[in-house]
Amino acid sequence: MLARAIAAEWLKLKRKWILALAVIGPLGVVLLQAVNYGLRYDYVMKQNADDPWGGLLQATTGLMLPALFIGLALVASLSAGVEHAAGGWKQLLALPLTRLQVFAAKTLLTLLLLLLSCTLLAVFTLAFGAVLGFSLQELPWPDLLRQSYAPYAAAMPFVALQIGLSLAIGNQAVPMTIGVLGMVVSLFGMLLPDWVPYNWPWLALKAETALRAAAAGLGGGLLLLAAGCMHFTRKDVS
Amino acid sequence: MDMNHGIGQPLGQEGRQPWLLETSGLTKKLGGKAVVRDVELRIGEGDIYGFLGPNGAGKTTTIRMLLGLAKPTRGRVTVFGKDLAKNRLDILRQVGSLVEYPSYYGHLTGRENLEVVRRLLDAPQERIAEALGIVRLEKDANRLVKGYSLGMKQRLGIAAALLGHPRLLVLDEPTNGLDPAGIQEIRELIKSLPQQRGVTILLSSHLLSEVEQMATRVGIITSGSLVYQDRIEQLKRRTAGRIRLAVSEPEAAWKRLLEQGWEARRDERGLTVPGGDDRDIAAIVAELVRERHAVYRVEEERSSLESVFLEMTGTGGSL
Repeated sequence: MLARAIAAEWLKLKRKWILALAVIGPLGVVLLQAVNYGLRYDYVMKQNADDPWGGLLQATTGLMLPALFIGLALVASLSAGVEHAAGGWKQLLALPLTRLQVFAAKTLLTLLLLLLSCTLLAVFTLAFGAVLGFSLQELPWPDLLRQSYAPYAAAMPFVALQIGLSLAIGNQAVPMTIGVLGMVVSLFGMLLPDWVPYNWPWLALKAETALRAAAAGLGGGLLLLAAGCMHFTRKDVS
Repeated sequence: MDMNHGIGQPLGQEGRQPWLLETSGLTKKLGGKAVVRDVELRIGEGDIYGFLGPNGAGKTTTIRMLLGLAKPTRGRVTVFGKDLAKNRLDILRQVGSLVEYPSYYGHLTGRENLEVVRRLLDAPQERIAEALGIVRLEKDANRLVKGYSLGMKQRLGIAAALLGHPRLLVLDEPTNGLDPAGIQEIRELIKSLPQQRGVTILLSSHLLSEVEQMATRVGIITSGSLVYQDRIEQLKRRTAGRIRLAVSEPEAAWKRLLEQGWEARRDERGLTVPGGDDRDIAAIVAELVRERHAVYRVEEERSSLESVFLEMTGTGGSL
């Protein structure tokens, strides 16, 4: 049933350029790095002479976190927005499937698209390093994987928040505004105390704190998802 | 409950048990105010049930509760003999619905819209062509729905509702906002469905004229209460109303008729008599002519839904 619900969700997002969005996000992040390296190749390479991969990964992070924040808000809003635009909740929810299945289908599709973006970021970063002639033998796999996936896990409370808001509020300008504000705040996340969720994606980038930040993010995200799901399954459809 | 017994024919005495859909004490309160109060719907298999009421009377709220979109504050909904609160999915598998304006994904084609519903219902692929055929949308199936006219969107909504081969079809104001041609088209479509597909239809409207051409049974709701529920013939008898007589001296004619024992009524526009029996009308006209009244016009005056409502909800409960 869930697979069918996800297949239906997927079809609803046709012509919404959502797959393109999932590809363009990480591609943009790496292309901007290409510009960075293209403009000042000698300087950047000299700076990171002893650790070229490390330099590339570090340079990418500054761009990927804002992209992640805006991307998760966009994907969550698109998936809920098609229903609000259609006045479609009543048709969808009068079909023989539970509210939980509807919520789960939309949430899983959002999570999968974001996971795809994170994976593509790793692939594009690796490809770009290879193009620059970095040795694949020296590639720090743990760093690459941590950088690609740990911030995603740490940002899970925001994914859950945006899904909940997008489903609950008909006017998608509201969750999108909150999402954009979240991105702005997240830019200064590392200046905030460790317990503030906006700092978690940054903490997830560092080897010492990555595990804790990812675990906190997943835990917090699950709690928020449960709350959003409860609200969604109980409310009357207007 | 008591209200219903006071007005109209006692409910559920037509010997058509078991009902396909039945509500008992169905009540919905919003902000402390009961927008639907103790509604006792009875819909039999094969009925086209016209659910009538002015805007804001509680039709859509009732329908939302029948579909599990809103939870009743009190009361029970039983469909196909099962409790909706406990068997929602089982019941919804056999129910198709179109609530208020149709919902559709404008950025998808008509066919893709149906495919979304098909995937969720896990219905076979052929159903899409079949449903498109029933509502005659084959030609436009591959166009984006945002370019559809309102009538086409409404037909697409009905196609989506039919996709799961439902036993019960719930259509909330299906002709709202359509032009006369569109209304005619939807009406023909709805009328053909029970014979062709054996579905039972619940059809809501705020227009009696709309429903009376299709419905076999009607329920009338006003201010959240069901004030009337019976076969359409019973209601037609009530709205058939009176015969209006335009005569040269209405005052004298009225008195004469009363003297003769006819139940005539005098108002500012002339006089009226009950329109039940053709022979009575003939006798009344003959009497007036014999009395040398000039009879200008004899016309049937059908009461509008509004006047039926007034009669049903007015003081004293004349029904």
